[in-house]
Order: sequence, then structure tokens, then C-alpha cells
Amino acid sequence: MTGDLHTSATPLLDVRSLSVGYELPAGLLGRRKVVPAVEDVSFTISHGETLGFVGESGSGKSTVGKAILRLVPPLAGHIVFDGRDVADDGARAPLSYRRDVQAVFQDPAASLNPRQLASHAIETTLRRHGVTDRIEIRSRTLEAFEMVGLTRDHLQRFPNELSGGQQQRVAIARALVLQPRLVVCDEAVSALDLSTQGQIINLLGDLQAATGVSYLFIAHDLGLVRHIAHRVGVMSAGSLVELASTEQIFDAPQHPYTRRLLGATPSSHPDGRDERRARRQAFRDASSVVLEAP
Amino acid sequence: MSETTTTAITLSEPDDGRRHTTNLGRIVSRMRRQPGTIVAGAFILFLATVALLAPVVAPYDPTQVFLDNVLEPPSAQFLLGTDDLGRDQLSRLIYGSQIVLLVALGAVIIAAVIGVPLGLVFGFNGGWWDRIGMRFVDMAQALPGMLIGITVVAILGRNIVILMFAIGLIGASLFARMTRAVVLVERNKLYVEAAEVAGLPRRQIIFGQILPNLVGPIVTQGSVFLGSAIMIESAMSFLGIGLPSEIPTWGAMLSLALDNQAVAPHLTWPPGIAIVLTVLAFSVFGDGLNDALTGERKRLPRLGLRLAQAEEERAARAATSVSTAPGAVTGTATAVVHGDDAVLVTHDVSVALAMPDRSQTRIVKNASLTVAKGEIVGLLGESGSGKSTFARAVLGMLPPGTWLASGSIRLLGEELAHRQERELSHVRGTRMAAVFQDPMNALSPVHTVGMQLTEPLRLHKGMNRTQARTRAVELLERVGVRNALARLDDYPHQFSGGMAQRVAIAMALAADPELLIADEATSALDVTTQAQVLDLILDLRDEYGMGVLMITHSLGVVAETCDRAAVMYRGRIVEDSPVATLFSEPRHLYTRSLLDANPANAETSGRLVTIDGDLRVEIDGLIDQLDAEEDAR
Repeated sequence: MTGDLHTSATPLLDVRSLSVGYELPAGLLGRRKVVPAVEDVSFTISHGETLGFVGESGSGKSTVGKAILRLVPPLAGHIVFDGRDVADDGARAPLSYRRDVQAVFQDPAASLNPRQLASHAIETTLRRHGVTDRIEIRSRTLEAFEMVGLTRDHLQRFPNELSGGQQQRVAIARALVLQPRLVVCDEAVSALDLSTQGQIINLLGDLQAATGVSYLFIAHDLGLVRHIAHRVGVMSAGSLVELASTEQIFDAPQHPYTRRLLGATPSSHPDGRDERRARRQAFRDASSVVLEAP
Repeated sequence: MSETTTTAITLSEPDDGRRHTTNLGRIVSRMRRQPGTIVAGAFILFLATVALLAPVVAPYDPTQVFLDNVLEPPSAQFLLGTDDLGRDQLSRLIYGSQIVLLVALGAVIIAAVIGVPLGLVFGFNGGWWDRIGMRFVDMAQALPGMLIGITVVAILGRNIVILMFAIGLIGASLFARMTRAVVLVERNKLYVEAAEVAGLPRRQIIFGQILPNLVGPIVTQGSVFLGSAIMIESAMSFLGIGLPSEIPTWGAMLSLALDNQAVAPHLTWPPGIAIVLTVLAFSVFGDGLNDALTGERKRLPRLGLRLAQAEEERAARAATSVSTAPGAVTGTATAVVHGDDAVLVTHDVSVALAMPDRSQTRIVKNASLTVAKGEIVGLLGESGSGKSTFARAVLGMLPPGTWLASGSIRLLGEELAHRQERELSHVRGTRMAAVFQDPMNALSPVHTVGMQLTEPLRLHKGMNRTQARTRAVELLERVGVRNALARLDDYPHQFSGGMAQRVAIAMALAADPELLIADEATSALDVTTQAQVLDLILDLRDEYGMGVLMITHSLGVVAETCDRAAVMYRGRIVEDSPVATLFSEPRHLYTRSLLDANPANAETSGRLVTIDGDLRVEIDGLIDQLDAEEDAR
């Protein structure tokens, strides 16, 4: 599944010193306040690579994804996609960029329009990107559905008539129908059941093997990232504190925060849990001493 | 491809008509189940028919004057009598319905055409658009509607189009406000972001994506406003500022009747009754429509829908996959027998659910589970397995549409099954407590945390204000809220997710419970916070020795905290073992499959084991066998 990551010299996506902030609406006389969410984050994603992004909620990992998707404007820095800096584009991203960079969001129920048939999401996307022939739209929609393991029958269903896993498959079909080169998966499996999670992760892996698409896989669960990511970035308080190969993150974490995150991840077996609890307790005692010191 | 098994699944088109291919079909079938709406709808239909066929149904021309029959009471010739010019009341009433419906319909359309786009633009653009636009809407709404109507008619003159426009203007602010409110909710939904990512232009997002979600509220509001429009039209005609007097309208008829009340009291009744009935019909119909669009979906437990889906998928799997003979592995759930230290003993608990087609189904089947003093017992299952329903049955808080069908629930030896809500509420306040997934749902947003902590202490423990406050501070400090005294006066939204869950735990502790039910209490938290909250629960168990029932879908949570765990699948407890045994030597096929499928378990970066296809069929077979055995008994 790994393949050769370095077939081309230039990475598909090159994010340099990215900073993103949210503006707070100030009072009538007050100045506008900018709350920084992401500060000075740099990383690259190669062709056909999956980069995992982990961190607590509020660490800024989703904001990085949104900036790449151009849903929030960057304050500073560069987002170079395929050799072109998209941070320079105006308020609206060019259509070609929309075709190349797609997204799968966390809540599959919310990411599909409840009033529109499952097929509608894909048809609208195709139509927007210049496919006008009705028969072609229909066949490509069906093709996309079959690619993610859905059938003709699912086309004519409303989102609430599909299970969570099926909804997420529709969302993946929508993301992949344009044959993008990068898909931002923002907690794409977090809301799903354990057995469904596995299916979706396998599906994403298969699709990558088949199409060579790259993923930015954002999750708070380290266990999931381990399976799909070639490299993992760890975000904490708006900064990228560690970025290394998946093996290295799990086997030899460098940054204390990464170690803490690994320590907090529930183990898959009860063995040794008392020691783990004692270690967490010791860590907390240590940090509370630091916090309470004047 | 991995999805071969899934791709093989083809759901047969259900031919029982339960599924409608359009939302419209669903709405109509729901409305057919509301008698009030049917009557109102029939009346509206009748009115519309009469209005359309007025020249055919009306006995006379509404303007024809019978000077010999002025102010005549009802007779065979004039069924509803005549007015002061000798015009037939019935004919005027019938022709009046044309005007009434036309003006009302026109007004609603004008109101929607003006109001909805304004609401869409204000809601979607936000910022200054919204702030300034909504001030104007506020101003328009503050003015009495009639005043706007009178002004417009006074300036532009009296004719039917202007009347429609005047009434439409009154309604426009209603539509704008409602549309904006819905858009504010919808624009933050992920599907709008998804549309943006797909590159859809803003215009298409507003009108193609958001507007369809507004159809329900707009239609409902329109139907209700139709009633109001009729009332306004009638009132304006009554005051003589509506349409010219030669055009028959109900309001003008009423006005005329008032002038002649002393001589011809019969004149008031027909237009009065017509107005009341019509306004009522539109209101009832609009209400029913609203219920059909949203209400029933709410009333029908989500659980029911999910269950129906799961059943259907299962049936499809069974139909298409090669069926393996069940019985290869039989998992028998054995309850660990506890002595006197049992806090909770449930035996054969079954919970029934009313299905949309009025049949019943059991969503928890003969579940038996015991929690001892100081023991943490996990109840593990996927969504829809019935684990949360079981917890709610123990708490006596089953959602509407579900009920305890059979079984015994003993807390400290006391039977709780089928007890009155008042008694259960006391038990919940003193001996058992619960922490749920979303702490913000458990905490009231309008009261301070201190108030919410002290109230149960005063109610159930009989403390006075100072005592309760002191205890509340102790509790908050115990659960790790820093600066507890100051934070008592904070509102829940001032706490982060993890801290809010700590507050919810403090509230649960206030009861000094013997049993704490944690229903997915850490599922919404991220790993570091989850570890802290789980450690807190462990510490509290060590300190107070309470029993904990830990409902979760996470194997990791069970592995890290539970002493014993039960696994639930399709409403049944399939396995109940000490936690080390559960993870090392799982007995039931489903438990084994779950452990295999745990992404944290597989060490390599290869494919993940999933529970689908033949494996799922085999597990389902085991459950079906259990069901069959029970039915046979």
C-alpha cells in the first residue's frame, strides 16, 4: 500500500509557515481581535502519500485542513499545491483547485443535504465541473457509488435512509468522483462504529492504491492513524510539535506531548493498566506542581 | 477490492410501500394519519372548489338587486336571506370566497417572495448585512400590521392587487425572520462546507442547497399566514378600507350586517362563521403540515428508525450471503453470582419499542447483569445494540415509545421495575446517578453551575444554603475543578468539554450514589481528556466504593477501566466475563470479531479485519438461534 513515495521530486502539497486565525467581532469601538488557531506550521504531502494529523480538540489540526480546503483564509504563509501558491488566490478558489482538492468530513449525516437524494450530491458536483451530458453524469455517478461499495439501489435514497457507514461512503464517492489528487479526511471515521471504521479505512487504502490519491488524514485517535498514515504530524496548541514516520511516532516519540498523547490512548488489552494509570497519575502530579508554582 | 462482500449486497426493493421515493409521498402518508388535518384539508378543498365553480353553484348574480326582498330572513328562495339592497346572501358568500382566497393566496406569495430572499441573504451573509437588515425587519414588525395596510391602500388606492401587496408586506417580515433563523442553523452544517469544497458558487449554495431545506418551514408558515391574511383582509373590508363596496367580500358583508343588526340579525352569521372556519382550517392544516414535516420524525424514536434499517440490512445480508450453519460457537451469557455486596442485579430485562407500523419489537432481550459494590462493569456494544436503552431502563428513563416489557431490576435489593416516576426520581437523586455523553445536555445553560449543584443537595439531602454551597465546593474540588469557589458562579458554557464533564460527575456524586451509570461518558472527549476523566472515575470508585456501570462502544475504555464486561449485540448480552478473560479468551464469536477488528490491536499497517459479509451472517445466525430457542420455550 505504501508504494514509492518519492517518484517525483516536488511534493504535491507544500505548506510553509502557515498561520491561521479567527477574527472575533469586537465591540463598536474596540479593535478587531484575531485569535490565532494555527501558528507557523510547515509540512509536505507527496503524491500517493497519507499524512496523519493528530492532536486534541482545539489543537488546530482541523483548521489546517480547512485552510488547505480554502474554507478559512490564512493569515500568513504559503500553501503550494502542485507548484502554485493558492494562498495568493482571492476570496474564491479556482475551479481547478476545487477539482484537485476534496474533503470527507466527520459527521456523514450532516455532510449530506438531508433534502436531497444521495445521488444528487455527486451529480451536482459533476455538473459544476463541466460534465453536462445526462447519460455521462448518470453513469459516472453509478461508477462512483460502485467504487465505494454502494449499489444502484442506494442512489435513490435520502441520507436518513442510509446507515452511518453508507452515508460516509456517499461522502467519499462525492470526494473522489472528480479524481482529485488530495483528499482532506477530517475525522472521517471518528463518528463511526468500530467495525465500520475498519471498513472505511480499508476502502480509503484501496482507493489510494487504485488511484494514487494523497490523503491528509486528521484524527484524534492515534490507533486509527497508525493504520492508514505513512507519516504522522502531532499538533498541540496550534503548532506542529512533531512530524515523523508512523513507526517513529509510535516506537520512538520525541516530543513530550507525543508521549503524553500515546500514554493517554487507551490500550487494546487490560494487561499493565495499573502501571499505566500510575504513570499518568505521576505525570499529572508533576505538571500540577509546575502549574501551581508562582 | 475489499468491498467485494459489501458490493455483493443488493437490497431488494421493498414492495410493502413503506419507503417512498420522494419526501412528498412520505409527508402525505403521515398527514393521512392526522384526522384534524384531513378535516381541515377537506374544508379547504371544498372552499377552493366552491370558489372556482362560483358561477355554477351560486343561485344568483352577487350584484343582482331584488328591491322587493330587502333584508329578508332565510327562505326557500334566498337560502341565507338578503341584505339591505336585496342581494342574495348565499351568492355573495360564495363569490366572496373567491376574493378571500385570491387575496390571501396572493398576499402569501408576495410575502414569501419578498421575505424569503431577504432572510436567505441576511442569514447567509451575516455581518453588517444581517445587523442592518434585521433592524429594518424589527421595525417593520413593530408597526401594527393594519397600519401598514391602511397606509399602502391610502397611497396606492383600493384594488385587489394593491390589497394583496399591502397584506403581503405585513407578512414579509415574518417570512424574513423565519428564513433567517433556519439559514443560520443550516449554513453551519457540513453539507454547506462540502458544497463549497465542491466549488459550487455562492448563489447555488444558497438556492440549490439551503433553500430545499427551507421548503418545510416556508410551506407551514405560508399555510398559517393564509389564515392571518384572510383575517386582515376581512378586517380591512369590514372597516371599509378594503376593496370597493360592489365587490362581495366577507368582511364587507360583516360590516353591512352590523349596520342592520337590529332589523336583520341573521346577516351576521354566514360571513362570521365562514371567516372563523376558514382561518381555523388554514391554521390546523398548517400545523398538521408542520407535524408531518418534522413532528413525527421527532416523536418516532430515532432508535426505531435505526433498528428498522439494521434489520433490513441484516435481512439483505442473510439473503445474499452464503449462509453458514449456526451453532459452531455458542455463547452462553452467564451472570457472575454475587453475594450480599451486589448493588445492581438485573434479571431478564426486556425493553419493547413501538414500530412505525404499530407493531412491537424488543430492542433489549432478556438482559441480565450484576454490578457489585466497588466494581466497574462495562457494557460494550455498537450503536443500536441496545446498550444505552438498557442503561435507561435501569434508570427508569426510557424514551417515549419504549417500555420495560419484562424483567426485574433490583438496586440494593429493592425492586425498581414498574415503579412510579416520582419514586424513581427519588432513587435517582439518592442512590443512583448517571453521567451522559454530552455534559452540555446534562447541564442547564441558564443556571450557574453552583445553583445546579446545590439544588439536589438541598432537595434530597435536606441541606441549607450554606451547607449545600460548602459541599458543592468540596465536590468540584474533588473532581479536579480548579478554583472551585469562584467557578460556582460560572455558567456551563464557560467550561471546556472535559471540565463540563467533571462538573456533571460532581453533580452525580452529590447524590452519594451507590451506583453510577456512565453512558458513553467519555466518547465525546479527546484521548487526553478521556484518560483524565476515566482516571477520575477510577479514583472515585476507589474512594467511595460505588458500583459503576460503564456503557461504551470503545474496547479501550473497557480495557483500561472495567473489572468485568458484558458484550451486547442486537439487544442481547452475548458474553459476560472478567475483563482479562474477555480480552484474552473471548468466548463468543462476536466478541472475538470485535477484538480482531479493533484498529489498535493490529500492529502492522496491513488491512484491518472488519465485521461484515459471511462473518456478520454467522454472528447474526447465533443470535437468531437464541431468539428461536426462546420463542420455542
